[in-house]
Amino acid sequence: MPVNPFRASALHPATWWFLGLALAAIASLSSDIAVELGVIAAAVFVMLTCREHAPWSRSVRFYLWIGAFVVSVRVLFRIIFNSSNPADAIAFSLVPIDLAGIHLLGDVTWQTLESAAADGLRLAAIVIAIGMANTLANPKRLLKSTPGALYEVATAMTVAINLAPQLIESLQRVRKARSLRGRSKGISALSSIVIPALEDTIEQSLGMAASMDARGFGRRGNLTTAQLATSRALSLGGILLISFATYFLLASNSQSLAIWLLVTGVLAIALTIRIASRRNLRTRFRRQKPGKKDTLVAAISLAAVILVVVL
Amino acid sequence: MIEFVNLTFGYRGAESPVVSRANFKLAAGEFTLVCGPTGSGKSTLLKLFNGLAPHFTGGNLQGRIRFSGVDVTGRKPHELAELVGYVNQQPEGSFVADTVAEELAYGLEQLGATPAAMESKIQEYAELAGIAHLLEAPLSSLSGGQQQRVAIAAAMAAGQKILVLDEPTSALDPLAAEELVTLLARLSKQQGITVLLAEHRLERVLEYVDSVIVVNGDGSVVKSAPRDAFNNYRLLPPVVEFSKRVGIEPTALTINEAKLASVKPLAFTGLEASISGELAISVENLEVTYGKTEAIRGVSLKVHAGEVVALMGDNGSGKSSLLWAIQGSGQRTSGSVWSAKGDPAKLSVIERLGAVTLVPQRASDLLFLNTLAEELAESDRFNDVSPGETAKLFLQLSNRTDPKQHPRDLSAGQQLALVLAVQLVKGAPMVLLDEPTRGLDYEAKRHLARAIEKLKASGRSVLLASHDVEFVAQLADRIYLLEAGLVKTTGTASELLGFGGVLPTQVAQITEQPGLLLAEQVIAG
Repeated sequence: MPVNPFRASALHPATWWFLGLALAAIASLSSDIAVELGVIAAAVFVMLTCREHAPWSRSVRFYLWIGAFVVSVRVLFRIIFNSSNPADAIAFSLVPIDLAGIHLLGDVTWQTLESAAADGLRLAAIVIAIGMANTLANPKRLLKSTPGALYEVATAMTVAINLAPQLIESLQRVRKARSLRGRSKGISALSSIVIPALEDTIEQSLGMAASMDARGFGRRGNLTTAQLATSRALSLGGILLISFATYFLLASNSQSLAIWLLVTGVLAIALTIRIASRRNLRTRFRRQKPGKKDTLVAAISLAAVILVVVL
Repeated sequence: MIEFVNLTFGYRGAESPVVSRANFKLAAGEFTLVCGPTGSGKSTLLKLFNGLAPHFTGGNLQGRIRFSGVDVTGRKPHELAELVGYVNQQPEGSFVADTVAEELAYGLEQLGATPAAMESKIQEYAELAGIAHLLEAPLSSLSGGQQQRVAIAAAMAAGQKILVLDEPTSALDPLAAEELVTLLARLSKQQGITVLLAEHRLERVLEYVDSVIVVNGDGSVVKSAPRDAFNNYRLLPPVVEFSKRVGIEPTALTINEAKLASVKPLAFTGLEASISGELAISVENLEVTYGKTEAIRGVSLKVHAGEVVALMGDNGSGKSSLLWAIQGSGQRTSGSVWSAKGDPAKLSVIERLGAVTLVPQRASDLLFLNTLAEELAESDRFNDVSPGETAKLFLQLSNRTDPKQHPRDLSAGQQLALVLAVQLVKGAPMVLLDEPTRGLDYEAKRHLARAIEKLKASGRSVLLASHDVEFVAQLADRIYLLEAGLVKTTGTASELLGFGGVLPTQVAQITEQPGLLLAEQVIAG
């Protein structure tokens, strides 16, 4: 069988996240339906051509469903809590309801529908773009690329990321098994499927944790407890600062504060990495380094974001 | 090498300790079998070796554990990682990497080996475990047997001298299991690795081990020579049962020993040929395709009322797919299934439960309530039978059990009996069982065999998929052997599992007498 040259593992997992975040940024910056549809189409196309047979790659349909759900809820709410401008062209009319001064339903204009769809599509595009990154980036390989100091945090994240597809797999298996016994009356079908699947997933992740522990995970070399605590506090603080900075950058007008937060956060993380990596006992096997392809994809993603900002 | 001194371990809140005042020593290169009934604490005993008990499981530890004279009591699993390699029942659940080489590297990375050392160690241990050709393969593409080999190589790659394995063969077909056990024997003899292996199917390992640790469940943990271990042991592998029955002294533990000692020919009663009733189910040209994978490529089979039919074949030969497709809720690409009540695929769930019922490989997937009593009552309600019916059926299939117990706390055998009762109470004449003996000890298997015989006596038919040659020989009237989605061969148990058959039982191998498969057939004289 010929190897698919566009397979997900051809790129560094961080590149996939970069691409996903770039697409999400484009979607959130634009309010044009065509752009949102373009982002969705691109993300879905990349997902379908590049995904491999891995547990975390089976959730394409799941992200599409979330997207569809977001759009329909958005449109439905705008029809119910209708605030159409009566001057615009009317798409269809519903019997208006007045509830203590709140107007529901009534004449729905094309413009209302369009802006609701654009809103919904923007959210859907963000969800699907992030979903793409999650589908294509191999969490275990991403873990390999994190600096030593963040290893434990990254492992916790990887296990959490792994848990979701595992849970989906268990859910599918239990649902299939439950079809043998039939759905009971009175007992919520949900709990009868979710309980065994959750138990199963938790058991599995405990098994994985035990196996990691038994193979030496959690050794900290000759790092003292104080050093370990400092490096953990610094790394956690750094991540928090960067998250706040991102929020301020996007959401408010205090740009200068955001930049200060960002700089401090990055410094904190750099310091942690220096402390811990120097005394790190752990070694890495065949670490994947970003290649030319990665640089190219990252450059194109960045260019696309800048283009949207400039236009 | 390893020494347990006065070791006591118990879980908090439990009435009695799992291990009570255990004293034993294991030498370097010793291959030890750990056996005992389900739930007796075999897994716990194994976890004591690398600190998973008590650090991972919780519980109280007293006494001392020494490795080569060094006291390691109370050390954490990751502190013992370079000394002890640990392999659990389901390797696929505990893999941390994606490819074989990366998986072998994981332990080495944690212990700080240099990249050059890693490459050479990985090569060395992959060759030892016979997986050198698979190093770049993704783990998910491997067979169960290969996955276990990877798990073993990964557990030893950092040069661990002690290897602890918790029922590694339970999901493997007979051939893969045999290969795994010989690999372990080779590691202990040639590499001087101390191997501890928990296993239910004693017949698979007895001829290779140097010693046996019996965990009784009442806290007593006794190490002895294999021959002494079975003098007072209730659960006997077929070779031992045979040699006791025939009167071989001292008790033969391996097929070769028994072969040399037994006098031939032996008088024996033939296996009863079942009188087949009416046709219960007829499968015509069934095909199942998942995407591009052809799981079943045109299988036809018939089962009659009162007949027990077994599906055998390697992992991946299509046994499960076939059962699910027959039951009707699994995928079918083409072909048809006939039953007296119509094609099960065309019936509603409740109608189907009156025609054909399936107990899946993981019976516990069907259980979701908090107590046994609730599960039984729910089954009465759902199946619309009078209250107490399911409980009555459960009692027939299992021993008396506290109704307030949580279904997850039942033993594997009891869980199976519960699911069987729930699935059978609607009176389906056709019962499908997928690997029912997985994880069962001899006692539980005997219970299950009795339950199946009762079903048979009441005129129901059973179609069971199984790797367990001895279990199938005991029960099956006919066998279909599957290979790559096709029926490779079909015949009676005597034809396929007897002397000269494809999968001879231990007794057939010893006596080499056609038609003699089981120790209980021999007329004691």
